[in-house]
Amino acid sequence: MAETINYIVKDKSFEKFAMMMLLGTTGDAMDIHSNFFFTFWGLNLLTKKFKPKVAGMPTPMKGMGAKIFRKRMAKFGIEDPMGMIKDAVENGNMKLFPCQMTMDLMKIKAEDIIDIAEEPVGAATFLEMCADGKIVSL
Amino acid sequence: MAVKTLDYSGLKCPMPVLKTKKELKNLTSGQVIEVISDDVGAKKDIPALLNKIGDELVELKEEGSKLIFIIKKA
Repeated sequence: MAETINYIVKDKSFEKFAMMMLLGTTGDAMDIHSNFFFTFWGLNLLTKKFKPKVAGMPTPMKGMGAKIFRKRMAKFGIEDPMGMIKDAVENGNMKLFPCQMTMDLMKIKAEDIIDIAEEPVGAATFLEMCADGKIVSL
Repeated sequence: MAVKTLDYSGLKCPMPVLKTKKELKNLTSGQVIEVISDDVGAKKDIPALLNKIGDELVELKEEGSKLIFIIKKA
């Protein structure tokens, strides 16, 4: 059975989005199964039309920073991060789980969530997934 | 002899790994490819990928800033 790594994504920054994308797609290439559990602000990364901003930059530059990073990453060959995530999800090696309780807490509706995400799950379901694997908090 | 030479110069992590994997998927057992990268991270990343998926790194050559991986599909 393939190795599984479970990730908790709790922030909505561009950095967290990029880390999720890089680790999930590389895991797919390495036949490592990745479960991502999105909770609190991390849920924003799963909502339609959301554009993550760079947390580590001064406030007026956060949005522009993401555009600059995207441009630079395109030059490295990372041209379509969302498309890469879709491929890894379609290959079955990357799964994106919204956390149900924090969705309710943050008033994020099921229809706001992107189509490639799994059905929302709760803490017990995520911990059950993690029982025999590793957990990484992003 | 390599059936294909793939030059990934200019690409950075994780693209050389992702593209190498994509190519390996389409090979038949025993076929060899040559992968070129100038990403310093690839020196450890490509062997890590191969270690995980079970294909063989036949040779790693360094020519200036270029890394040349000779890879055999298991």
